[in-house]
This record gives sequence, C-alpha cells and structure tokens, in this order.
Amino acid sequence: MEAQSLKGSLKLLSKATTTESDLELASAVLRKDRKATAEFVELYADVVYRYVRRRLIPRYDVVDDVVQEVFLAAWDGLATFRAESSLRAWLLSIASHKVQDYYRRRLRDAETLASDEEGDDLPLPTIHRHPEELIDKHRIEEKIRATMTGLPETSSLVLLWRYWEMRSAREIAAAIGRSEKGVERLLARARAQFKKKWNNE
Amino acid sequence: MSDAEDRFFEELAEIDPEAFSGPAPARLKASIYSALIRRQAESGPLASLSGTKASGRGLCVFEQLVEISPVSEAAKCFNCCSICHARILAEKIENAPIYWTHCPYVRFQNR
Repeated sequence: MEAQSLKGSLKLLSKATTTESDLELASAVLRKDRKATAEFVELYADVVYRYVRRRLIPRYDVVDDVVQEVFLAAWDGLATFRAESSLRAWLLSIASHKVQDYYRRRLRDAETLASDEEGDDLPLPTIHRHPEELIDKHRIEEKIRATMTGLPETSSLVLLWRYWEMRSAREIAAAIGRSEKGVERLLARARAQFKKKWNNE
Repeated sequence: MSDAEDRFFEELAEIDPEAFSGPAPARLKASIYSALIRRQAESGPLASLSGTKASGRGLCVFEQLVEISPVSEAAKCFNCCSICHARILAEKIENAPIYWTHCPYVRFQNR
C-alpha cells in the first residue's frame, strides 16, 4: 500500500517536473533564445519524425517536409501552449493534424474508382502470435511496411487514416468532400488489395 | 465488410511500431532548426547572445566572439549561424565533419 502511494507520488512529481520543464523550455523558445530552440528540436525531432514516418508509409520522400511543417506550426502556436499536456503530446497532436492534412490533400485529388472487390473472397490473413512476441512484432512491422509499399498511394493512405489514425469513414468523407459510401468503397478496395499482397508476402 | 476484417486491421495498427525507424536524420534536424530561427527572426530580433549566456546556455566560439565584441546589444541578436559553414555542412551532409562545442548543428549529429 505504502509502495503504491510512493509510486503515485513519484508519478505526480515526475509529471509536475515535466510540465515545469516543458513550460520553461517553451517560454525560452518564445523569447527566441536560439539555444533553447536547438534544445527543442533536439528533444522532439526524433519522436515527431518516427510518428510521421510511420503514418506516411511508404511515402518516405515527403516525411521531411511534413516534419518541418510540424515544427513551424508549433512555433506559430507555441504561445498557446499551456502545458495541459506535455510538449511531446502537444507536438504529436500537431503532427497528427499535419499527417491528416496530407491524407486529405492526396485523397481529394485522387480518382475514386468503383470497388472491383478484387480479393474480397480471399481468406482473412492472421497475425501469428508466438512466445517470442518481440521478434514477431518486428517481423509483422516489416511485413506491414512491405505490403503498404506495394499498394497504390490512395489505398495505403486511406488504410492509414482509417486504422492507424482511427478515423471513421464518415470523418474521412467529410474531410475530403466525398460521400461516406465512396470512402467505404475506397476502403473495401484498399483492404482487398492489402489482403492479397499480405497473403503473397 | 466483416467485423473480423476491421479487427484484423485494428490489430495491425496496434502493433508497437517504435522499432520502425531510428532517430531523425541529422540533416533534417539542422534544416528544421535553421527554418525555425529564420521564422523567429522574421518577427523581430532573436534573444541577444548575452541573454542566452546569462540563462546558462553555452555559446559557440563564434557567438562568444560576437558576445564579447564592443558592439550594440542589437548586433548581439544577429543570427551568427546564417553565415556559418557548420550550418551549410549540417544541412547538406549526414554526420557532418563539425565539432565546435555548443554549436547547435553539432548537437544534432547522430554519433
């Protein structure tokens, strides 16, 4: 019981320290302190980069531009940062918006073809779980990457948006100005293409 | 579409992807930093080097030279990096051959 309360206190203390240091760093960056700005980039570029890279598989060529956009948007909005969440979480929410802006732009421009339901009758792939789960995870990550790389951009983006960013077909439809049915068709085709490639990998 | 199909994709999305990639390229960090400083300078002078030094953050050798020079405080707000070879190297070359202490572009190197 005491150990649990100590653990709770330490957690609170660590959260308070993070918030304090986040606020301190944010206000130094706002004062245009160049060294604080360097620290800001050094501390958060990796986490933002990893997030954006994962969300844009396989379009690695646009990752750098999106990451830079995230930091510039963060600078523009830094005065509104109130440390209600950590700087890390705040930056990741900006990154999520930027990634979805990218999806929106690309999918708006894309031709929505009627679903040919290709691959719909294929058996649903399974994710094999082994005791060596870490090795397995790594293998699955590689397989996801390989499968996504082989898909048309429209298909990989709509899958990422729906399942990785956890947006409903209705939300996606509203964002790109299409009907929900149209997005469902796009998703159906993307899932079928994914399954086909996944089973062949 | 079946629920099982949705579950399959949701399960894929849940897989911890931390091992997906390593650190951001140093070149990217350098470019972000340069872009941020440029953006900051657009809306007025940067914090002076004296202020930065007083807040306990170290200056690189060139910044120190500017900081101790008998120039106005306004001149000490100058973005020294804009004319520094370290910035150019860091923006163009991964693992750039730059080693100055307290140089932001050096701290971005993944080594």
